[in-house]
Amino acid sequence: MSELVLNLENVSKTYMLGKRSVPALSNLNLKVKKGEFAAIMGPSGSGKTTLLNVIGCIDKPTKGKVLLDNVDVAGLHESQLYKIRRNKIGFIFQSFNLLPYLNARENVELPMAAAGKSKAERSARAKELLGMVGLSGREGHRPQRLSAGEQQRVAIARALANNPAIILADEPTGNLDSENKQGIIKLLANLNLTQGTTIIMVTHDSQAARNTERMLLLKDGKIVKEMQGLHANKKNQTCPHCGASIQINDDTCPVCKKSIYASDELFSS
Amino acid sequence: MSLTTRALRNLSRRKIRALLVVIALAFSMAILIVIPAGIAANQSATQKETSGLANTIDQTSAAINQTATEIQCGLTPSAPSGFGFTSGGGTAIAIGGSGTQMVTSGSLGGGALGGGFTEPMNESLYNDINSSISGVAAVEPTLQVTEGHTETIKPPAGATVIGSSGGASPPASFNVTVPDYIIEGVPLDSSLINNYPILPTNITAGRNLQAGDNDDVLLSENNSAYFGIGVGGTVNILGTNFTVVGIYSPSGADIQDLYMSLADAQAITNQTDTITQLNVFTDNTSDVTSVANAISALHPELTVSTAQDRLSSLQQVESLYNTELANAKATMNQTNNQALGEIILAVATTSLIVLFVMQYTVRERTKEIGTLKAIGFGNLNVMGQFLLEGILLSLLAAVVGVVIGTVAAPFLSKVLLPAVGNSLGAPKGAVTVGGAASLASAVTVSPELMLIAFGVAVLLGALGSVYPAWRASKTNPAEAMRYE
Repeated sequence: MSELVLNLENVSKTYMLGKRSVPALSNLNLKVKKGEFAAIMGPSGSGKTTLLNVIGCIDKPTKGKVLLDNVDVAGLHESQLYKIRRNKIGFIFQSFNLLPYLNARENVELPMAAAGKSKAERSARAKELLGMVGLSGREGHRPQRLSAGEQQRVAIARALANNPAIILADEPTGNLDSENKQGIIKLLANLNLTQGTTIIMVTHDSQAARNTERMLLLKDGKIVKEMQGLHANKKNQTCPHCGASIQINDDTCPVCKKSIYASDELFSS
Repeated sequence: MSLTTRALRNLSRRKIRALLVVIALAFSMAILIVIPAGIAANQSATQKETSGLANTIDQTSAAINQTATEIQCGLTPSAPSGFGFTSGGGTAIAIGGSGTQMVTSGSLGGGALGGGFTEPMNESLYNDINSSISGVAAVEPTLQVTEGHTETIKPPAGATVIGSSGGASPPASFNVTVPDYIIEGVPLDSSLINNYPILPTNITAGRNLQAGDNDDVLLSENNSAYFGIGVGGTVNILGTNFTVVGIYSPSGADIQDLYMSLADAQAITNQTDTITQLNVFTDNTSDVTSVANAISALHPELTVSTAQDRLSSLQQVESLYNTELANAKATMNQTNNQALGEIILAVATTSLIVLFVMQYTVRERTKEIGTLKAIGFGNLNVMGQFLLEGILLSLLAAVVGVVIGTVAAPFLSKVLLPAVGNSLGAPKGAVTVGGAASLASAVTVSPELMLIAFGVAVLLGALGSVYPAWRASKTNPAEAMRYE
């Protein structure tokens, strides 16, 4: 589990606003190992979106290296980048971004269609993924007939379609009520545990961030602080509250009976 | 999901909008379909008219050429001692001194066929003219004898004698000879019948008369009906049996004329050495006047008639036809120009509608396009989807447009190309083309035209959506992150 999936070396990104250059990222370094679940937090204008775009091969850095599965994507042309996005990255968006004229299964099939997979293969994989996110039997529903939480589950299934190296989630809980927030965070955490999916999540939501493994604080284009999240405890199989040994499947500590996941009550205590 | 599915689903996504756009496009497609249909109808009508006129002109010039060198000579009957009268119905009957004759209107190109002089004269005149006048190419002596039956006619009440000063009343009743058939005795000399318009040309059964024919007769269709006999049959004329060798279709005043050799005609009518008319043919048209003058000088008793009158009248007709032809062509050119303008307008409208709609669609769906690109679709695929959407929209409109065009073709073509209706409905001048009046409603959309319309729809759909589709393909995938 020590293999590096993502390695940013001295990445800088400067935007030009007229004649004035505005730095969004400055000499940023970040290493993410395979199977990690990390959250990037930071105030508005700290460079979160720019960082996500650079990792997601949507934007190119002005300077520095972006090694994705040991391939430097910083210098690649758009005609190459879309293939990297298709095969290495799975996007989860704040507003789900499902195509309204396609049903759940068809939405999940989209990245596979882009990759030229056969119809039968697409269909089978989409069904499997929708089952994995708990939407068995709802494959034929169009987005408007699904709840917000269900739509985000479809989007997560879509992000997993081509077995990407990294899932990039941009405020995945931003449009959800608290119940659905927890559901989605749990789903991501479980995928990380059971499938070993590497997840990088940008969020404003401190509660969601606390449930990841690594919390990275971004400020003025640099990572200024890193903390351990509750998910690390779960992986270590120690209760974050009492230090007792827990099972990887446990949602609550068998000793102190507290929820292992961060919740409002946990935060208020 | 496949490109086609995505493109199709998008069309059905906003049904009302798609419907309105399709209707708007369909009208412009209908115009695109109807105009070529109208032009095709116009062209075929003009072509019909043109070929009809050209035919008539050809025939007329042939007639002019044939009769231009012909001079008709004969004896004019002594001043008629008979009388004429008119009745309210407008028919006029002239009663001459030597027997009675129905007056028929002369035909334009009749030439030597039918009509002419009927007073008997001696055949020796033939040699005089044939041998002593220079410029004469050939002389054709003919004998025309009318056989008929007598009917008693009672003038209608109130009829007056023509030319009488006091409006004298005609007798209570009088006898007229109604012709049954007219014997035309012509010289069956191969140098004459092969080179000059002596025999009828329009043989419908059997064969024409030829040199050496003896006791043979060529009947008109009317004769054949009158005698009740066909080709190969035998007909008794004035006591002599003749074999019917052929039947011809009359072209004008010769409906009752039956043709036989001059010798046979003279024999059965007991008029040896007698003829009624000499047709003199000159070498050149420029000789006609001098030859006619020479004949008059040699035989002052003969009435000499040249083809000059006919010629000038034929030339008038020809010029009228040519004017009509020019008019038809001018109208067609004008219509074509108008059609071209309208087609360009319709093409521009169609592609502009597609352009605006697709441009709007692309702008509205920036986020969706960004998402497609973020999750791994390439520029070409995205461009293809929007091109296909534009083409499908256009094709759908073409289907509706073909329906509108087919149903409303006659009406639309009248509105779009008024010249079609006008020029086809009521040709100016004396010449009319059969069935022309109904041509405006004969504008129809052919299956080929429908196929072409679908092809054009694909092209225009692609043309109109190329730019929006290109813009879509250039959408930044970061648009997917934008939170609205």
